[in-house]
Amino acid sequence: MAGWSEKILDIDLSKKTYKTYPLDMEMARLFIGGRGLGARLLWEMVGPEVDPLSPENVLIFTNGPLTGTGYQTSNRFSVSTKSPLTGTVLDANSGGFWGMQFKKAGYDVMIVRGKAERPVWIEIKNDEITFHDASELWGMRVFAVTQKLGQNNNKRNVLCIGPAGENLSRIASIMNDRERALARGGPGAVMGSKNLKAVVVEGKERPAINDPERFKFLLYETRKLLAASPLTSQALPEFGTVVLMNIMNNIGALATRNHQQTQFEGAEAISGEELTEKYLVKNASCWACPIGCTRISKTEKVEGEGPEFESTWAFGAQCGIDDLPAIIEANTLCNDLGLDTISAGSTIACAMELSEKGYMDSDLRFGRADQLAPTIEAMAYRKDVGADLADGSLRLATKYGHTELSMSAKGMEMPAYDPRGMQGQGLLYATSNRGGCHMRGNMVGPEVLGLPKMIDRFQVQGKSSFVILHQNVSAAIDSLVVCKFTNMGVSDEYFARVLSSVTGIQYDTGELTRVGERVWNLERMYNLREGFTRKDDTLPPRLLNDAPTDGPSKGWVVQLEPMLKEYYRGRGWDENGVPKPKKLADLGLAGL
Amino acid sequence: MPFVKLYANLRKLAGTKEVPITEATIGAVLNELVKRNPPLEDVILENGRLRPHIVVTLNGHNVIDFNMQVSEQDVIAIFPPIAGG
Amino acid sequence: MIDQRIYEMFCEIGRDLYEGNMISSHGGNLSVRLGDRVVIKRRGAQLGRLKPHDLIETRLDKNDSGVALASTELLVHRTVYLNTPALAICHCHPRTAIAFSLSRDELVPIDNEASYLLKKVPVVTEEFASGTPQMAHKVAEALKNYKIIMLRGHGSFATGQTLDEAFHWSSTLEESCQIELAVKQINEPFIEYRKMSESYNKF
Repeated sequence: MAGWSEKILDIDLSKKTYKTYPLDMEMARLFIGGRGLGARLLWEMVGPEVDPLSPENVLIFTNGPLTGTGYQTSNRFSVSTKSPLTGTVLDANSGGFWGMQFKKAGYDVMIVRGKAERPVWIEIKNDEITFHDASELWGMRVFAVTQKLGQNNNKRNVLCIGPAGENLSRIASIMNDRERALARGGPGAVMGSKNLKAVVVEGKERPAINDPERFKFLLYETRKLLAASPLTSQALPEFGTVVLMNIMNNIGALATRNHQQTQFEGAEAISGEELTEKYLVKNASCWACPIGCTRISKTEKVEGEGPEFESTWAFGAQCGIDDLPAIIEANTLCNDLGLDTISAGSTIACAMELSEKGYMDSDLRFGRADQLAPTIEAMAYRKDVGADLADGSLRLATKYGHTELSMSAKGMEMPAYDPRGMQGQGLLYATSNRGGCHMRGNMVGPEVLGLPKMIDRFQVQGKSSFVILHQNVSAAIDSLVVCKFTNMGVSDEYFARVLSSVTGIQYDTGELTRVGERVWNLERMYNLREGFTRKDDTLPPRLLNDAPTDGPSKGWVVQLEPMLKEYYRGRGWDENGVPKPKKLADLGLAGL
Repeated sequence: MPFVKLYANLRKLAGTKEVPITEATIGAVLNELVKRNPPLEDVILENGRLRPHIVVTLNGHNVIDFNMQVSEQDVIAIFPPIAGG
Repeated sequence: MIDQRIYEMFCEIGRDLYEGNMISSHGGNLSVRLGDRVVIKRRGAQLGRLKPHDLIETRLDKNDSGVALASTELLVHRTVYLNTPALAICHCHPRTAIAFSLSRDELVPIDNEASYLLKKVPVVTEEFASGTPQMAHKVAEALKNYKIIMLRGHGSFATGQTLDEAFHWSSTLEESCQIELAVKQINEPFIEYRKMSESYNKF
């Protein structure tokens, strides 16, 4: 069937063998691909008895029906696994070129199980799968490995881990195409635990399209819409994502110094405007993307991709640092070592607060730009103070007896938006299935930027409907897979139409959102099976009890309880956050 | 004196980051701003109304009513359409 | 108690609908979805001059207190919410669009803005009266694929994440139909300005 290759590649590293078998097409229709399909397969393969860093955990790489078709931003893919950081269901999603190449290799899914006796790397050329010895590569950093294995954007693409993944840091990322990241939740540690250093793909197949004429028209329409939207044609290409710094600071929702404040006096110095003026070399883009939000920045010491808004915030405002070159260098260093920038930055900030308050004996202090690079380096190698920080802020703060100072939800560090100034974002973090994350239905659109329309960011009543809708739509987009930024110029109904034209199966907007709802409920069931309960749908006490004393969000804490109640009911879950049998049956998830 | 702060490409268009403007209401401030910086008019306004996705805040609070009074010390911020995450 | 900001939103858009000639004094309806509840105009209330007690809040999936007072079209709104991602609905009686709906099975805008925003608006025929399950089902089905649809000879139903958005589609449709009417009156040859124009009708 067009859209899917209908083939799963299943690799067992313990035996150094592989097999291929057909994808269950009914499953594909219900979960599409990417995150949805990954969650469905993970549900069957990895139960609560499995330690995330044991050989029994699996890495499930997936693409979707749109991946590699040439539809705008159809470059993305994802990896699903049980997270070593949170213990929840996890999927991390990345752009670049690797995903498109993986699709062209003729597989929808690649499952990696077991553990290699010695470090290996895998080479995939359609039906030809080769296991190579990686002892020489073990210990090498990401940029060097990527180059050594012959990265060539449109022909041969490298995905690998860096030292952080090898050293099982629970905030280690998997990197692809040099500086793209499957970052959050520690998938790099899972790959490291399997002694798998890299996966290189070269693909030859061209993805089939069911109705090329309709597809061509949609390509044309999408191109026009992306060019017509000031967001996708001007804002993102001109300033990149870090343009958000000033507005978040202006409205008092920029988490600062480990969420002790909601405004950062140095915001202007680390803003998108500043980056563009002083450090931007050029824009770049992922495969088949006309937006081009990627920054290539340069300082005296480094030149590389980024930094994105969240990374700039994590090493900037969150650490009280207004030194942009130091932030750019920290970002590049994380990419080279294979660390998630949000978690790394926020964990350093947590250590800074612990140290300033005298709970932890270290010289880490807010505002010390010179401490960034050495600390990150130490984290990747678990050296000195880095040994404490390598597994994220929750484990760090708990070790020093102050769990409440970890700015995380379900153990994953939250990104830049301080939810005391954005009530919906607070609900989003608390209910996100992979922990404190903004990619699960970002409310910055409706609450701050007026996309599609402005709603009151402090309003509590009715907020859950927006959060539920955005969560469902995000889950659907992550299953297609395309980039969420496309959605800023092109509405969801286009995705339904493109999906229909590619696969030949009729999806309408409602059905696409329903796929998202199905994925969300399945992920919820996974977490419940792992032992998570209503008590885990929460936020750090600071955000629930300590209102900012100045700025536009003065006097506000996250009104989580009323929103959560409304949210559970709106989702069709009981008062403990358990999906009701009727809801599961409606979604085709009965029997889970 | 109340200040109008400009962001992203508005800075390039106006050639400045900040403009001090003394007017009684937000609406009047905006009108005065585009009068002094004509290149901003097309970007911010459309038939005398705010263009979609332009965000205006008064001391960090979203402006919905353009008759809102402006006083000394107030900071008005104008953001062109921006996105990210 | 209905949130003050929600009430204000209803008032503003209700008044705009009336003043924009999109409804008669007692016509049209607005609603929003709040989690598992719906806020909708009371039966017989005038959208152009809403009072706080004119808004009714009820459950999405079943009746509870206050429902007797709700608009007769509550069923349509509920059915749409249960079958689409909509969080707000704007139902009005745009006159030119209604006129076109009497002779066409779909409205395909010819102006630039509506072409992009709406693409194509299907016209649904329903012989049963307003508020019946049959009509509710038809409207909801059509709104799965389109953000705004016309009920022949009756009016439009538009969905959005906010009332503002649903109102946007409604006013865009009426504007587009007025343009088309003017074009018909001018009655000169149409110069196609859209590329791939043949594809527009079959989108």
